[in-house]
Amino acid sequence: MIEVKSLYKSFAEIKAVKDVSFTANNGQVTGLLGPNGAGKSTTLRILYGLLTQDSGSALVDDIDIKSDRLGAQQKIGVLPDSHGLYIRLTAREHIYYFGRLHKFDEDKLESQTNELIKLLDMQSIADRRVEGFSQGERMKVCLARSLVHNPPNVLLDEPTNGLDVMTTRTVREIIEELKTKNIAVLFSSHLMHEVSRLCDHIVIVSEGSIVASGTTDEIRAAAGEDNLEDAFVKLVEGGVN
Amino acid sequence: MHPVSIVLGKEIRDAARDRRALLTAFLFPVLSPLLVYFMMTAIIELQTDADKMTIPIIGGEHAPALIQWLKEQDVHLEKFSGDAKQAVKDKDKELVVIIPDDFQQRFGELKTVPVEVVSDGSRTDSQPKVRRVHELLRQYNQEIGALRLIARGVSPDVTRVVVSQHVDVASKEQRAATALNFIPMYIILAAFVAGMGIAVDSTAGERERKTLEPLFINPVERYQIVTGKWLAATLFSAIGMALTLVLCVAAMGQVPLAQIGLQFHIGNGQMLSMLLATLPLAFLATSMQLLLGIFAKSFKDAQSYIGLLVLLPMAPSMYMMFNPFMTREWMFAIPMLGQHLLLVDVLGAKEVPLIGYFYSAASCLLLGMALVLITARLFQRESILSG
Repeated sequence: MIEVKSLYKSFAEIKAVKDVSFTANNGQVTGLLGPNGAGKSTTLRILYGLLTQDSGSALVDDIDIKSDRLGAQQKIGVLPDSHGLYIRLTAREHIYYFGRLHKFDEDKLESQTNELIKLLDMQSIADRRVEGFSQGERMKVCLARSLVHNPPNVLLDEPTNGLDVMTTRTVREIIEELKTKNIAVLFSSHLMHEVSRLCDHIVIVSEGSIVASGTTDEIRAAAGEDNLEDAFVKLVEGGVN
Repeated sequence: MHPVSIVLGKEIRDAARDRRALLTAFLFPVLSPLLVYFMMTAIIELQTDADKMTIPIIGGEHAPALIQWLKEQDVHLEKFSGDAKQAVKDKDKELVVIIPDDFQQRFGELKTVPVEVVSDGSRTDSQPKVRRVHELLRQYNQEIGALRLIARGVSPDVTRVVVSQHVDVASKEQRAATALNFIPMYIILAAFVAGMGIAVDSTAGERERKTLEPLFINPVERYQIVTGKWLAATLFSAIGMALTLVLCVAAMGQVPLAQIGLQFHIGNGQMLSMLLATLPLAFLATSMQLLLGIFAKSFKDAQSYIGLLVLLPMAPSMYMMFNPFMTREWMFAIPMLGQHLLLVDVLGAKEVPLIGYFYSAASCLLLGMALVLITARLFQRESILSG
């Protein structure tokens, strides 16, 4: 479970995150929805321990990230904003590297990796060096290395950005699968239709603040619009005004 | 597995597959001994050339006695005709000796005879020959002068106020070591060259390829990540140094040093001493490169900074070449200078104080650790991920 309570974060003059609070429960998919530059990535980066908030708290399974970064990081699997890979390592070696850094049991590492490779349908590329991989193939490597240690919480920063239909579908299937394992999934997106399709709980952010949250029905009701996309636009523009 | 060894293992595997980095890392250790060999052989050839040389001479027929004397000194003479100055300018001849037409006449009248030695002062390779010709003429001058004095009942000692005598306190090995001053320099350079690729790739390279963010999400302390990278780069640097040392010593063994009266012999013990003396430098060299790599925005950016860093290890060697000084114990504690002194002493078969090894190793390790801690601090800044 991930709990965020009145989080604030500024960079120099810019207030990137203002009073953001929400909870991502186990067995639920929570969507962080907002236009580009709304503060989604900053919020996630605080949650996975790369940035430190100015005030407020962020807890992962009741572990405070600010005071016990490593403890909290052990409990999360992250697909971050940057999908950088080591061009001279194979897909499998990437998964091993991150599994070991998470202190995953060395004896089970190989079978765990094989399972992930099968799950993500990447048998044919598993032992190739990642140099020259397509965007979709790279994304699969990133996903596999973030899930190798069986994290009880999964954070995905714009997971379907720039992917083709086939890979997007795989990512969706993975998210559904994680949900059934009682994992708390938090993902960010600027695509309304994707969020509405996958999420049990939606948090809409605009200019660093939350403008609405709830189920799709609750969001539609709050905006007084039948169409979710219209609701989104109305809420975000309302936030701006 | 400890996080440091996980990072270390990954970096070694990654670097071992990087052909470009490997090439730059190990080209130097392989090329420098070749350079040593050809340079030393060339120097020796120049010096021995001067001993059994051929001198082009104009007007030799005017001074048969001098010619005869020169031949007795094992000098070959060849008759030269034409424009001497032009021939030297055109680099046809290294030097030409011109004997004037009235040599015999002036000789008979006991007048000083000017003998010209035409040479090009900008040619370093002909200098030993030119010096030798002047020396020969001076010697002839003295002999004839002495005979003339004796013929007049005067002791030749009258004109010899003082005689300088050459007393060299350096052993043959020590003289060889000064001639070999550039071997320590190469070995110290190797420390910087061999670890550079991996040090830059694992800092500026990670940043450029955007792999730092995923890496930092792992539950590992930043100083552990930096330490793993440091040790990996140090390993490559140390291998480069050891390779340079072993190959340079092997190359020196092939150089005919005995021809110029020098001796060079390195036993296994000395080799081990030299490795002990220099390997700690690898830790320092790579820590400097990691730190600079963090500041750089890209691989190229880092390479240009670190290219300048390579000049640093040359400084002590250069300084010593032009300003020889007496070694004091504290000097061993100065990184790079310490290694240089140790190498020169071991190569010169001089007794090295044990504390020297300790000082030079300790200073390199401590300074290296300090720089790694600073690097880890920089890794902790939030801005490391942006831009």
